[in-house]
Amino acid sequence: MKLRKILTHFFILMALTTNISFIVSPNPYELAFTISMNLFATILKMGEGKVLSNELMASSLAADLHLIPAGFLYFLGDVEEATGLAMGALAANIISVVLGIVETIIVSFIEEE
Amino acid sequence: MGKLKKKKCKLRLRRKKPKRLIDIYEEKLLQTLYLLRLPLLMLHTVMTIGTLGYMILSDGDFINSLYMTVITVGTIGYGEVVRGSDTPVGRIFTTFLALGGIGVFTTSVTILVRIFFQEDFIRNFRAWKMLRDIEKLRGHYILAGFNKTTLELINLLRKRKIPYVVVDSRREVERQLKELGIKYYIIDEPYKRIVLDAAGIHRAQGLVVNLGDDARNIAVIVTARLMRPSKEDFFIFSFASTEETAQKLEELGANKAIVPHRLLATRLAAYIFHTSSAYISDLFDRIAFGEETDIDILEIPVPEDSPLVGKKLKEIDLRRSLNVTVIAIRKPDGRLDITITGDTVIEPGDTLILFGHPKNLKKAQKILLSRMEVRR
Repeated sequence: MKLRKILTHFFILMALTTNISFIVSPNPYELAFTISMNLFATILKMGEGKVLSNELMASSLAADLHLIPAGFLYFLGDVEEATGLAMGALAANIISVVLGIVETIIVSFIEEE
Repeated sequence: MGKLKKKKCKLRLRRKKPKRLIDIYEEKLLQTLYLLRLPLLMLHTVMTIGTLGYMILSDGDFINSLYMTVITVGTIGYGEVVRGSDTPVGRIFTTFLALGGIGVFTTSVTILVRIFFQEDFIRNFRAWKMLRDIEKLRGHYILAGFNKTTLELINLLRKRKIPYVVVDSRREVERQLKELGIKYYIIDEPYKRIVLDAAGIHRAQGLVVNLGDDARNIAVIVTARLMRPSKEDFFIFSFASTEETAQKLEELGANKAIVPHRLLATRLAAYIFHTSSAYISDLFDRIAFGEETDIDILEIPVPEDSPLVGKKLKEIDLRRSLNVTVIAIRKPDGRLDITITGDTVIEPGDTLILFGHPKNLKKAQKILLSRMEVRR
């Protein structure tokens, strides 16, 4: 077990789960928490020189760029539009989790070789 | 189960490619990015705690909570702008946020600024960008080693608009190169394969080796010739300390190795021997050394199947059509025929020596070579 990896994957998963919970029951705390978790996940992916690091970083940035405007729209009163953007971020977060799993498998293959 | 494991081991997911210099610099930049993680994480944690805390106090006012956190940890302190922050609970929260947050904020900002402005980051970024630009170069010359001679050569190459890349291992040279406005350079050992590859050896026209040391010159020539084996496609010119070394360098792969003091003596002798016709002597010298930009000499070999074979010089009439003059013909046995007239017939294996303006010569070369290609 590697602490760094646990931490990174924890925040990637948290970004996904909080995103889903905001879409299911939109409330300001959930949204603020989702944005925060996504930003944590992005920061933790910075400078990671692994196999799919570029793809992981890109998916994370895509999620951030959906959620930050969603935050502003939500607190300015447009809840519907904010939820729509959060759904977009959800797609990016799902891709992020899938990429994380694929990367783990690839790295284990390489290490075995 | 055992079979499955064997199969798994046989799977090759990624073929390892040799690392390029640009990849190394990219890795260095990513390492810098990696350094940003800790200060950003610290800052983000404080911001999250602050914003969520004020949101709970203000019953979900996100924008004001974020603003309140920023003005608290950023030591701006415009006042208690969030609902609930002026209550005893709010003030206790603000106290703890300020105590922890201000330290984290200043530390993070200091680390971030230090990372961005430290010399290595800027230098690595510049080097990475330059390597990307070098990747676009075609038909350039690589100049291994930088000194006064290289500088003179650079001036001549600039006049002819020939692109070049300087490669030198000395860090102190970098400043000089920058001051001189030299666009492309690599600060690394020129004998390394990875460095020559980064300098675009596979797309370059030639290499000039001038490292001031025969052993180092040999190392560069051998590496370069291993990467570009054909002497016809890739020209290597080198400096040598003695005639014997020059011969060895040519045997090892240099197209021409020059002994500087001998070259100087030859040029001086040319002046001494032609004191009565100093202008012409100087003119030929300047043409030969590429200093005369209005006049140049060009050799065009005539293969056996060329359409020029059997034609008289007056029939191809290069003087009228392209403003270039055939001044001599070099015969296949190496003899130079300078008594040519309009009735001289071009024979297979001849080399036409043309004289004229560089632009016209280029045009003539293009036309004559294309005629030969069409015929083939």
